[in-house]
Amino acid sequence: MMRTIAITGFLLSLVLFAVVEWAARREGSRIPSIGDVCAYLMRYEVGPVPVGRIGLLGFWWWVGWHFLAR
Amino acid sequence: MEQPHDLAVDASRVWDRPIVTVPVLICLSLVGGQLPSFSTAANLYTLGTGSALIWLGLGNRAARRPAPRRLPSGVLWWLLPVALFAVLEAATFLMAAKDEFPTFSRLADPLLEEELLRSAAWMLWLATFWGLVRR
Repeated sequence: MMRTIAITGFLLSLVLFAVVEWAARREGSRIPSIGDVCAYLMRYEVGPVPVGRIGLLGFWWWVGWHFLAR
Repeated sequence: MEQPHDLAVDASRVWDRPIVTVPVLICLSLVGGQLPSFSTAANLYTLGTGSALIWLGLGNRAARRPAPRRLPSGVLWWLLPVALFAVLEAATFLMAAKDEFPTFSRLADPLLEEELLRSAAWMLWLATFWGLVRR
């Protein structure tokens, strides 16, 4: 039962990611695409240090290592 | 007009075009798909490709698309999938019930043992990474 809830929940979240991205790409949409959200986050800097950029690139590196290497 | 420093990159580099980058990403993904989990080769390959992309992403070596200065209020819609995923992942991780209530990575592991799916996952990871580098 709990396993089914987990699988259904994760699948639903993936579908929601796709649906929101689809909605964002419609003409005149008020929803930014995931690329725009990431680009906005990556603009964040503390002084000369691009903290947002380092954080997001580092996070994605960890995701790859977690799923594809470890 | 002066360009912001993070946008002003010459986009005319030959290697920075889809006709070059797509085949390179496919080749890298096919190689990555052959490397089994928990192997030294997979660790080194992930570290190597990731390091190279971070190096490209932190410098001005690849052309970047302009970033929005503000996000519209519709950005809140992104909280829906993110919150659902985060709550489920936290719950499955904290309960540590293994296969009874598995984490996302525990569900993905058996799928990623298949070479073709593993290569597809590599392609998704590398293509997204490249997309982030270009942002």
